[in-house]
This record gives sequence, C-alpha cells and structure tokens, in this order.
Amino acid sequence: MRDAMGWLRRLLDGPASLGYAVLVATTVVYFAVYTSNLGHLPTSFDFLSILNTTLPLVFVAIGQSLVVITGGIDLSVGGIVACCVAITATTVDGTGVMPFAWLLLVLVLGTLAGAVNGIIIARARVAPILATLATLSIFSGIALWVLPVPGGYISPSVRMVLTNPTIPTGLIWLGLAVVGWLVLRRTRFGMRVYAVGSDEASAIAVGVPAARVKVGVYALSGLCSALAGIFYVSTTTAGDANAGAPFILTSIASVVVGGVSFAGGRGSALGAMAGAVALTLVIDVIFFAGIDPLYQSLFQGLFLVIAVLLGTGAALVARARRGTL
Amino acid sequence: MLSSSSLDDEFMAVRATGVDRAFGGVQALRGASFAARPGEIHALAGENGAGKSTLIKVLCGVISADSGTVEIFGQTVRRVVEPGARRRLGVATAFQELSLIPDLTVAENLLLHEPPRNRLGLVRRSQLAATADTILRRYGVDYIDSFAITADLSVAHRQVVELVRVLATEPRVLILDEPTAALPDRQVEWLSTHMRRLRSQGSCVVFTSHRWREIEAFADRVTVFRNGTHVTTRDRISESEAVTLMSGRTFEGAYPDVTTIGRGDSALRVSDLRGGRLAGVSFDLRRGEILGVGGLAGQGQRDLFLTIFGARRPSGGQLSVAGEPVVVRRPRDAINAGIGISYVPEDRKAEGLFLPLSIRDNIALATLSRRSRFGFVDRGQERQAVATIVGRLRIGAGRSPAQAVGNLSGGNQQKVLMARWLLTDAHVLLLYDVTRGVDAATKHDIFELIAELAAQGKAILFYSSETEEIANLCHRVLVLREGRISVELDGPVRDAERIVAASLKEMPDA
Amino acid sequence: MNASHDRRAPDTTELVLAPTGTMVGSQASPTARRVLYAWAAAIAVIVIGATFNRDFATWSSLRVMLVVASFIGFVAAGQMLVVLVGGIDLSIPWVLNGAAIVLTTTSLGQTGRMPLAIALALGLGALIGFTNGMGVAWLGVPAVVMTLGMNGVMQGLTLGLSKGLTCRSCASYAPQPLRELFVAKPFGIPAQLFLWVGVALFITVLLSLTTFGRRVYATGVSQRAAFLSGISVRGVTVALYTLSGVFAAVAGIALVAYGGQPSLGLGDPYLFESIAAVVVGGVSILGGRGHYAGVVAGSLTLVAVITFLQTQRVPEYGRSIIYGLVILVILLTYGRDKSNA
Repeated sequence: MRDAMGWLRRLLDGPASLGYAVLVATTVVYFAVYTSNLGHLPTSFDFLSILNTTLPLVFVAIGQSLVVITGGIDLSVGGIVACCVAITATTVDGTGVMPFAWLLLVLVLGTLAGAVNGIIIARARVAPILATLATLSIFSGIALWVLPVPGGYISPSVRMVLTNPTIPTGLIWLGLAVVGWLVLRRTRFGMRVYAVGSDEASAIAVGVPAARVKVGVYALSGLCSALAGIFYVSTTTAGDANAGAPFILTSIASVVVGGVSFAGGRGSALGAMAGAVALTLVIDVIFFAGIDPLYQSLFQGLFLVIAVLLGTGAALVARARRGTL
Repeated sequence: MLSSSSLDDEFMAVRATGVDRAFGGVQALRGASFAARPGEIHALAGENGAGKSTLIKVLCGVISADSGTVEIFGQTVRRVVEPGARRRLGVATAFQELSLIPDLTVAENLLLHEPPRNRLGLVRRSQLAATADTILRRYGVDYIDSFAITADLSVAHRQVVELVRVLATEPRVLILDEPTAALPDRQVEWLSTHMRRLRSQGSCVVFTSHRWREIEAFADRVTVFRNGTHVTTRDRISESEAVTLMSGRTFEGAYPDVTTIGRGDSALRVSDLRGGRLAGVSFDLRRGEILGVGGLAGQGQRDLFLTIFGARRPSGGQLSVAGEPVVVRRPRDAINAGIGISYVPEDRKAEGLFLPLSIRDNIALATLSRRSRFGFVDRGQERQAVATIVGRLRIGAGRSPAQAVGNLSGGNQQKVLMARWLLTDAHVLLLYDVTRGVDAATKHDIFELIAELAAQGKAILFYSSETEEIANLCHRVLVLREGRISVELDGPVRDAERIVAASLKEMPDA
Repeated sequence: MNASHDRRAPDTTELVLAPTGTMVGSQASPTARRVLYAWAAAIAVIVIGATFNRDFATWSSLRVMLVVASFIGFVAAGQMLVVLVGGIDLSIPWVLNGAAIVLTTTSLGQTGRMPLAIALALGLGALIGFTNGMGVAWLGVPAVVMTLGMNGVMQGLTLGLSKGLTCRSCASYAPQPLRELFVAKPFGIPAQLFLWVGVALFITVLLSLTTFGRRVYATGVSQRAAFLSGISVRGVTVALYTLSGVFAAVAGIALVAYGGQPSLGLGDPYLFESIAAVVVGGVSILGGRGHYAGVVAGSLTLVAVITFLQTQRVPEYGRSIIYGLVILVILLTYGRDKSNA
C-alpha cells in the first residue's frame, strides 16, 4: 500500500502532473457532455476513433517535448509531417512486405530531416526558432512537390496494423510510445538531454557532448513527425500536403499543457502525450456540446491559456510548500 | 621569467612556459610562465585582469595557448577539448562559475559522466543515489542529500558539491579558481583538509583567491601575476607587499579612518521590517554614518537590503526617510525616496549592470526622466552629467563613456553602479558586497569613496562577505541572526573576530 | 521565450551601438553592421533578380515590391518591438484578420462611419496586444503560449461572430476614402509608402530618442538589472505588446483598404514573414539589440525573393523550398548566436 501511495505521490508531484490533471478534467467534461447530449455513455467506437485520431499528435508531442526540454523549439514538424504524409500516401501501397519497407524508409527520411535541423542548430549555432522556420518552408515545399494535390492511398494491410478501425491496435503503438519515452528517460542520453536544457554551458564544461545531444534530439523529433505522418495517412486513408501545418501549434500546445517548461531542463513527454489526448478530446467536447465549430479555436486558445495559468499557479504552490519560494 | 634557473630543470607537476594568449584585441597573457611542484599547494594571486583565469584555462586545456608550451607531469598539453582526455591526464578544475546542472539532482550531477547502468544501458536510479552518497561520504560530506535538486541548494552547498565532483576524480593536478568565495569557514577548513591530503599524496593543488589570509594559511608557495606575466614566485609574501606586486602601486594602509566623520540626523529609520528571512528588524541610520550588517551567511542580510530598496515585498514594518514615512513597494519608490542600491549577489556579477550597453547608458538609466523633455532625452545634459560623475569617481581611467561596461574591470563596474545612484541624489546608499571579486587596489579606491560619501552626509548601509571589511569600515555593526538584530556593536570594531563571535551568540529570548 | 543575458560574456572587441545612436571608434557597432548586412542582402537579391530579368529592377517593379513589403513592414514593426525584450507575438495573423473584418463590418462601406471603424479596428489590436502583455508580464505566461492562445481566441471569435464571413455585413467593402488613399500615388509614390515611412519614423524616434526607448533596450538586455534600476519592466512589456497589436491592426486595415474586401486567412502568411523580416533585419532574437532600418531591409529582401521566384514562374513548391533556403543562408551568414569566449 505504501508503495502505491509513494507512486501516486510521485505521479501527482511530478513534472507531468499538469498534463494528467488536464487530461482527467477534459475526460470528465467529455463524458458529461457526451452523455447529456446523446443519452448514453461513449461507445467503444468513439474511443477507438479518438485513439486513432490522436495518435499522430501524440507522436509529434513527444518529439516536440524532447526539443523543448533542451531549450529549443521545432517549428518544422509541420513540414516533416507533411513530407512524410505525402511520401506515405504515394508509395505505401500494394501488399506483402513492400509497404512496410516503404514505411521504414519514411521513418529514416524523417529522422534525417530532423538531423538536418539539429546540425544547423547545434553546429552552425542558429537559434532553433529561426532554423526550424526556414526548414519548415523547405520541407513543406518538398511535400507539395511529392503530392501536389490531396490524394494517395494507403495499403490496407498497413492500415490494419497501425490504426485498425475495429481493433484498438493503436493502443499497442501508444503503449510502445510510452515505453519508448520511459526507456529514453533512463538512458545516459536522456540525462544529457535534461542537462543540456537546464544549463548548456555547464553541461559542456563537464563533458556532455551538447552538439551531439541536440542533433539527436532534433533527429528524434523528425522520427516522431514521420510516425505522425504515417499514422495520419493510415487514419484518413489519404494524403494531403497541407496536413502538417496544424501540428505546429497543436504540438506546442500539447507540450505546454503537459507542463514542459520552455526554459528547458524540466518536464516529461508523458505530460505532453496527455496534453495531446486532451486537446483532441476538446474538439469532440465542442462538437458534442453543440457549439458552432467555427468557435473551435476560441476554446482551444482559452484551453491553452487557462491550462498554463493553472500550471504556473500549481508550480508556485509547490515551491511555496517546499519552502524555496 | 622564473627567478631561479635551477627550477627550469626541476620536474614540475604543472609547467607553463612563454605562453601568449589574446582575446580579440586584448592580450591576456604575455610570455607567461608558471611552475608548480608535485606535492605542493600553490597559490596564484593577481588583480582582476592579471590573467589568472586565462592562465588556469590554458593550464587545464580548456583553451589553447597562441604560443608557448604547457606540460602536465612532463607531458605536453595542447588544447584538450574532451574532458575525458583531461581526466586521463589527471587534471581536474573547478571554475568560479560552477558547472552544475541546476535541474538535475546532486547524484545526477556527480555521476553525469558515468552513471551506473544495467546491462541494457539504462541508468539504475537506486544505484545512482547510493553511489553518490558513497562519494559524498568519502569526502566527509554528510549533510547534503543526493536526491536534492541542485538548484534548491544554497550556493555554499552547491560549491561543496562542485568541489566533491572534482575531488572524486582523485586528480594529480587540482586547479581551483576562487574555491572559497562562497564557502563559510567550516567548509573552508574542510577544503583545506582535502588539499593537504592531495598534497601528501604527491598531487599538485593550484588555487586562486583574493583572500590573503587564506593564501598565507594554505599555500606552500605563491605566484603573483600582473598584466598577463609572471612577476614572482616565493614561499611567503606579506599582504602589503603582495598588493604592491599585484598592482605596481604602494600600499597606503588598508582602511580610511571613519572616526573623524560626524553623524547627523536620521536619514533612514527602519521599524520592525519583515519579509522573506527578515523577522522584524529595526534600526536608525544617520547621515554620515556607515552602518555595517554582519552575521553568518543567510541570516537575512540580503533580504534586508532588497526589501528596503523595494526589490522584495515586505510583509510588515515601516520605513521613514529623513523623518517622513515612505511606502516602498518597488524600486522606483525607493529611488524617489532617495535610496540607491549597489548590489552584487553571490554569483558575483553585479546585478544591475547592462554589460553590452555603454558606461553612459548604465549611469544615466535611473535618472532618465530628469534629463528629458516630453519623453525625449536631452543628450547634451546627459553627456555633461555623466562626464562629471565619471571624472569624480575616476571610472575607467580615461576610457570613453560610450564604451561597453562589459569591458571594464570588476572594480570599475562597481563604480559605474555607484555613479548611477549618485546621479539620483540618493541620500541613502545600500552597498551589498560591492567589493566581491574586486582586486585589492580598487577595493582601496572604493573604501576611500565610501568614506568620502559618508563625509558628504550620505547614509550608508554596508554589507560585505568579508567580515574584516565590516569590522574596519563601519561606525556601527548590526549583527543579524535568524532575521533579527541580535547584537549591536559600536565601532569601528577593528577585530573581525568580535563580529564572528557575536554572530554565533544565541538570540536573547524575545 | 525568456533569455538570460547576464550569462553572456561580453565580446571585448566590440563597441556597442548605444541606443543613443553614437558609433564610437573605427569599428562599426554590431547593430550597425547587421543593418548594413541586411541592406546588402536586399540589394544583392534585387541585383540577382535584375540579371535574370531586366524588368525586375525597374521603378514600377520596385514600387510594387515596396508596397508588398510595407505590409510585412507594419507587422514586423510590432514583432520587432516585442522581440527586443525577448518575447514574440504569435497572435499577429488573427489580430490582423480580425481588425480587417471589424473595419469593413463596422463601416459597412460608408464614409461617415470610417473614423469609428478605424478606431474600433485599432482598438481591437490594442486590446488583444494589451491582453497579451498582461499575460506575459503579470501572469508570467510564456510569450509563445500567451500569444498563441490569443491567436486561437481571435480566430474563434472572428470566425464565429462573422459566421465564417457569411454574416450580412460581411460582404461590405472598406470605405471609399480609405481605398482611394491606398491606391493614390502622390508624386508617383504610392501613398502606402508614406505610411510606412511614418511607421519607420515613429519606431526609430521611439526607440532611439525617448526615455521609453532606453528602457526597452535595457529591459531586453537584462530584466533583472532593469528592475533594479527602477524601470517598470511590466509596464514596458505591456506597452510593447499593445503596440504590436496595434501594428497588426494597421496591417489589417491597410490590406483591406488595398484589396477592398477582407478574406479568411488574410493574416496567416504574415506571422512567419514578420519573424523572418525581423531576423533578417539583424534584430537579435534574444532581445536587447536591433534597429528598424534593418527590418525594413529584411522585409524588402523577403519580398524581392518571393517576387523573383514568381517572375521566374517557379511553381509553388519550388518557391517554398528556395525561400526557405535563402532564409537559411542568410541565417548562416549572420544570424548566429555568438559563442562565448
């Protein structure tokens, strides 16, 4: 029992606690709005659809968290997602092994794209917001070149595995994402990511290869964007080169709502994942509450600001309790 | 050049010969030589800008020399980029700016380089803490929790962690840049124990310090640097002689005589001030008075200064300036009431200076509205006002006031800060550790300046991390303990020990 | 986006261009150098364009480019102000769009209602900017988050209240005098550019000649030091974000006066353009350094690149790629953070 209490306390006090709290609150509201409007609890179909819809954003949120923890930001996720969506929708067809091989290639390409970001930022020392702004334009252009008009195709076998509309295979991938993060967190690389984000100068002074860490982090962000692209095509069964743009702001929102600090060195991707799910739920909440969908961004914007205010407030309370205010 | 040629043949732990190093247009080291023996504690002394920090960086391989050679135990060192390689050479360095990652725990900081890992390559959390605890205990530190987040520790504890991190590599050459700046006496003792231990093991310890008492107590030999070159290396140097060697000026006597300064009416009355660590402080500061604030570290001195200036919110109490009650909720209120602050926090860089901005901008910033019309700055007036005060305080030795403050020495930077407040016609000056990181000769200038200001009728509240300065410069000393005044000493006290003794005295029951 | 400046070691060889505007010594200050580079970039792009296409550098072509650049220049003015204190304004797109729609739906195309419409549009910009500033300065919300959130709020409100721009008054045009103003060409120079000159003068005077400007640069260099000097850091921050909102509204008014009718997504391209113009113009993204003269050059450079690509009939994807590459090249040459010595 004591172990459970300790685990619960760490959960509540930890860096992702804001994300969890927001997710729980949003889920409650979702249930309330859904049942009051439709007269019954959400069905498994609803859950499945939420799962499949939210997976892309969850992946981008993980990548964005990693980048933000090092004190940077990745605006090019929009471009890399778009690129990967475009390539996936045009190549991943057919049966057998080939589609999966193509998927692998897409992942590699996304990782390389991210690595390019990392090299520009770490080696050439360009500010992240500016470097990724430029590469966003480049990658978006490539996406348009590959897939000039929305369309494309996804191999059914791939779809069955990734975002099966009847079986929640997505849960497996979600679980793997969580495990992946937990593993990463506990590697020396993970420690170094936090070190670089917290105080880069000191990290370098004690021998952390900050440049390599940064390249790695942006490469991982690229990988996550590639995953997001693949899952996006899998869910929507088509591709659209403009599909990447919304992910820029929603991934930042997820990271913020998840309690990751823009100052770097603090926060957990788990919170961002929770934030991503919460953000997806908000859209459904708005829909089921019968609010004009035109007002959607209003609520998303308010959601963002209020979540951050709560987070700042909670952080102040925590510090006061610890006596370090 | 080394004074004795036989030393050229002796086997040295650390040897630098003919080292040049320039940064942009500034020649930081010219033909510098340095040699320290194995099994020796060697102090490196010199003013700010003498090249100590640069020499240290060259010695440990963080930066390369433009010319000349550096040898560690006979092995030539070029620029050694990878700290792992430095480790293998047996060189460990603790710089003035701590290299600790704030958001990581103490354990993670100690073992960042080689955390204990399982077969999968994952860090073993429990083992991490246990290993860190073992390390801390091995070096006699049992009061720091290895689970603590480094940013939450006091500066002194962080310094201790940094020192343990460096000691744990069991180096052959240990280089410490101002290691005792943030340490209370007990930890200074602790450090000296380890320095002696390393010495007896045949390692070489090189350290820099501005505190001559420490240099005399710990060092086997002292090297003095000036203007980027080696001046002399001796077994013993008296403080006055050292100041001469370091600055090229003769020492005129440490402290100005404050007993001749008359004191007038009350300039600042503090009644039951509370907030942060302050638990109710009351005193009266008179015109012409230099009032010292003493006590052990962290007893509320910092909060006292910041609260009076309005940089901290008080939770109770009152202030009166020249007999009139004033409400100070933010710095602008304090400035309007005639209070100015020159504040140098523990991390040494004067808070309040804008390093990339010019001397003129820095000085003029608090009084912009006085020299403006409809919001537009009157440049002519400003130039004149700044030129006058720069001349009066002898800032920068003839440099143009359009130069960036970042180029100035620590002492000149302090003067710039004080100039800013003098332009505001502040009657009350709060000087918090203004001599931190300042070389001896400029300290002297600053003491003279403080005495002069007091003679002009300013009221000065003075704090220094060097108790001796409080003892010799102040008319009266208030000793703080747990946020209250525990003892009041009439001064000048002269003997710093009296203040220390008073700091340790228990609070009388309220 | 907060930046700690106290950790940056000063570059001992540089003499800083103080906001007083003096250049000391034989070395030009870093800010002056960046402004020069920005103009060099602009001229370089125009020259390259002219070698490919003789009509590129004619007055009529330049005139069009300048007009297009002026819209960027308006939003970049606001963006520059907040970047100078280490912040950023991501709410520009929908403040711009909202102001444009407010202008037309309030004026209903009538001249008599024009002053009211303009006042409301500018007031909207000021209000959102003020809210941004309050959130950043008083509530400690990071600028990225606060302005991002407000952008969403504005987007939602604008879309919702105008019912997707299908409301009854949404088909209105901008008032005629305004439209004529923006089409007029006194002395052969588009009136728009006079407005831009006005904006440039305002910003330059504000930052270089007033006490407020000094406080802005001081706050950008070190918030803590500014606080201890008696500067109201919060006040300065709120004022700057408010101004940014106003400039976004100015851009919205100008765009709709130029085009006649607002559209949805009118402001979207201007967010990243404003940031790019500011950076290409030599303003440090960390704050404390920069001059509007550089931002003008930056805006012009960006437009020149886009126009060049259009005249070369480069397809949209190619334009996007090349545009990104050009920005990257510029960033690599002088947009880098200096490493500490």
